[in-house]
Order: sequence, then structure tokens, then C-alpha cells
Amino acid sequence: MNPVAGIGLRSPHLAEIGRERPATGFLEIHAENHLAGSPSLQAVERLRADYAFSIHAVGLSLGSAEGLDAAHLARVAALVKRLEPAWVSDHLSWSVGGGRYFNDLLPLPYTEEALDVVVRNIGRLQDVLGRQVSIENPSCYLGFTDSILSEPAFLAELVSRSGCGLLLDANNIVVTAHNLRLDPRDWLSGLPGAAITQYHLAGHAVNDADGEPILIDDHGSRVGDGVWALFAEVVKRFGVRPTLIEWDTDIPPLGVLLDEATRAAGVIETVLQAGGQDAARAA
Amino acid sequence: MPLALRDLQAAFAAHITGADRADLVAAVAGDTIPAAARLSVYRHHVFESLGTALAATFPTVQALVGTDFFRGLARAFVGHALPVQPVLTEYGAEFPAFVAGYAAARDLPYLADVARLDWALNLAFHAPLGGRLKPEDLSALPMERLPSMSIALAAGAVLVSSRYPLDRIWETSQPGAANETVDLNSGAANLLVLRRLDDAAFVGLSEGEAAFVATLAEGMSLERAAGAAFQIDPAFELSTSFARLLAWEAFAALQ
Repeated sequence: MNPVAGIGLRSPHLAEIGRERPATGFLEIHAENHLAGSPSLQAVERLRADYAFSIHAVGLSLGSAEGLDAAHLARVAALVKRLEPAWVSDHLSWSVGGGRYFNDLLPLPYTEEALDVVVRNIGRLQDVLGRQVSIENPSCYLGFTDSILSEPAFLAELVSRSGCGLLLDANNIVVTAHNLRLDPRDWLSGLPGAAITQYHLAGHAVNDADGEPILIDDHGSRVGDGVWALFAEVVKRFGVRPTLIEWDTDIPPLGVLLDEATRAAGVIETVLQAGGQDAARAA
Repeated sequence: MPLALRDLQAAFAAHITGADRADLVAAVAGDTIPAAARLSVYRHHVFESLGTALAATFPTVQALVGTDFFRGLARAFVGHALPVQPVLTEYGAEFPAFVAGYAAARDLPYLADVARLDWALNLAFHAPLGGRLKPEDLSALPMERLPSMSIALAAGAVLVSSRYPLDRIWETSQPGAANETVDLNSGAANLLVLRRLDDAAFVGLSEGEAAFVATLAEGMSLERAAGAAFQIDPAFELSTSFARLLAWEAFAALQ
């Protein structure tokens, strides 16, 4: 297995991974699933010697105008200190407001004000953790009329003002581009490629919104053909990065995840052999 | 005049929880999929994903009422009390009380107690393992000190009492359990929920043992706890019951 492709470590697979130690590039956990302390956290700690880890937070709410929740930030920081992962990330979105948590990656208007807010929040996160974090492009189901920047331009500004890295989710690009009538390949233009630290791949669902198809980022199926095609384009443009297969609902047998990771490694290999070497090696 | 981000987020939060906000709809770009329909994607996901989280925390409640009924119950609860922080295994403390007052579940009077048991198992599963009191820790102490000592329950250990046979209800609701009918009048249950090395579980206590544990949990001495147990059950055997509790590692190590 190409060491570059990894899988999410989810509770249905914990015992099997602990027992079988399958070959995979790295393991990713959601920070919020491991903050409470439980037998599963001890199982994760036992795997640390054999796998590189990525801690992916989903609840820091980096886009909240009211700032970060100090208590949650402290818990995430304690987990990062305990597990010393290779990568730490969260999303360009918000999920907390007025003391309530919405359990969703809610969209931001891409304005100067929002840029200031997110840069300030990322700065605080990076200061508390004492390390760089990577910010993931979200799946969007709407855009705001007040936005003055495109999403990739907003991400580029975040990189330049906060020093953060980027986590590029190819599925989210396909979902957002479809829903907001954008061209996914155009979306890639203007991204600061050197800042990209990881790629994510996942499946999405197609739902109906007032009689029109809308793509939903549900992480509940195999990676779709359109996402594989865009992923090949991403690797060609920006080079090889650790690549995660995400699957969070209707979680299949472990073998299916490993199979998807093998396919991701195969796409990377094909791009390299077809002459994408320059970009890939430059990274 | 654009909405300030703080105001936009307050409007979004209000909209998600059901209040249609015209100012928010106006701030969203719509096309053949109108702004309101786009916003509903988020509203739908918030309720559905939190319902899924509640189903994971209260699996026995869901098994008893079925997924459709549970979805409605969960939606009502989410509308009543959103999480206050992002760790979803800590969401649902108010769910048992909500179930108790849920009109559509009036015919299932034991359901709130089942929710309390699911919640206690969830808390125990996520409790720190911590040191446990061992019989040899006590044998090292002078005998005369024992009666006046107070002994804390292990982290995550909690007593769940019900006028219904909660243990039988729980057992027959587990995946793969035989399809049995439980006689709701077959007796009360006193269950001690415990964090074990790799999971959480419960053991059934007698009335006397339950009084003993409940009194210790209030910080009272062993002597007081034994007194409370004898009062409930004159046949309470302190040494037997105490040995059983020690064997289950129900107490925290002495400080």
C-alpha cells in the first residue's frame, strides 16, 4: 500500500485495526470523539506506535464572530498534546453560536469582516497548540450575496495572513461547485498549492431541493467518479499529499475503506506515471 | 446594508431552530434552488445528525420505540435543547426528563427510566478508569477505623433505581435478544452502573444494597450506610454485600 493514503479510525473498526494492524498510510480521528476519555481513547493510544495520526476537529467553529470557546479549545489542545499527531485540522465554517452547538459546518460569507474573524480565531488556535493547523474547504449548499471573495481566494488570504495550511477536500469542491454553479477546475486556480498539507476524499449523496438535484456531503458511500477525476487533477496540479478516505455514516467493513485507500494510491501513481511528476516531485 | 457577521450568525441560528428569518433569506443567493430551500438543507442536517447522536447515546430507548418514533422524539428534544458544546457523547443529560414529559410516550411509563439507564451507561463508559478500592487496601487498615470511614464510588459508578424491572426490559431490548414479554409488575430494579476496563455494565442490587450504596454515595460513613441498609432490609448481610461490591470494583481507591 502506498503510505500516502490513510483512513478514518471509527469505533466499529477499532478492535479489528488493533488486532490486525492493516497496512495504511495513516489514521485520522475526529477530535470531538475522543475528548471525553473512554476505552476507545486508550485503544487509539495503543495504535500510536504503529501509525501516524491526523487529528481532525469538527467543532472549533473557527468562523464564529464571537470567538473560540475557551473550554473546548483547552480540551482539543490537551488531546493534541497527548497524542502528538502529525497533522491537526478543522474547517472553514462555524458551528457554535450563542452557547449552542449545531453539529454542522455552517457557511460563512466571504467578506473582509469574516476574514478578520477567521484569521483571529486560527491565530488563537495556533498559539494555543503551538503549531500550524490546516483549514479545510467545506461543502456549501448556499452562498451569500455579500461575499466579495471566492472561496479559494478567501482560503489564500487565510494562508497568507495566518500562516495556516490548507486541507483540500476534493469531494467538498465537487459538492460546492455543483450546488453553487461553479466549475471545480476553475475553483482550483489561485489556490496556494505549497500550503496544502493533506487531501480528503469521500462520497456524497444526491438529494432533491425543490425539484433540483443538490449534492450532500454525507460521507456515506464510495468516492464518486467525478471526485476521482478531480482528485487526479488536484494531484497533477499540486503534487502528492497524505490523502484520507472519509466515511462517517453507514460505515462499511474495514476492507472497503482500505480498498478505497488503495484506489487513491493508484490514482496518485497513475498521475505520476503519466507525466505529472514535475508538480508531484516539486511538492 | 450587509448584516454584521455576529448578526448573520444569530439569524442563522434562529432560522435553523425554526424561526423563519426574512433578513437571512435575503442575504442568501438563490436561483432555481431558492434561498429558503438551500437554508433548509442545513436545518434538516442539524436535526437529523443530532437525532443520530441521541440514538447512539440512547440505543435501548430507540430499540424499544423503533426508529421512526425515536426520530420524532429526538427532533422534539433537539428543538427543546440543542447541545451546549461539541462533544456529542455529553449531549442528552436532559433527555430522560424530556422523555418523562413526552405526551406521545405516555403509554410507556418505564421509558424515561430506560433513558436514565442508557445515560448512566454512557457516562460510565466515558468516565476515567481511575484506581479502585481492593480488599487488601482495607485489610491494611486498623479494624476500628472502618465504621467511621466514608468510601467514594468509582468514577462513573451510579445507582439507577426504577419501580419497573429495568434490567429485564434492557436485556430483552438488546440486539439479538429473544423476543420475550416482560411483566412490568414483576418488581422494582436497583441497578449499579459501572465503568469496566473495556466497557460499561450494570449489576442488580438488593434493596438493602441499594440503600447502602446510595448512602455511601452521599458521602456518609460505612456505619451510616450499613444502618440505612438494615433499616430497609433487616436481613442485609454487610460482609457479603460489601465483598460483592468490592469484587465489582465499585469503589474508588482511598485518597
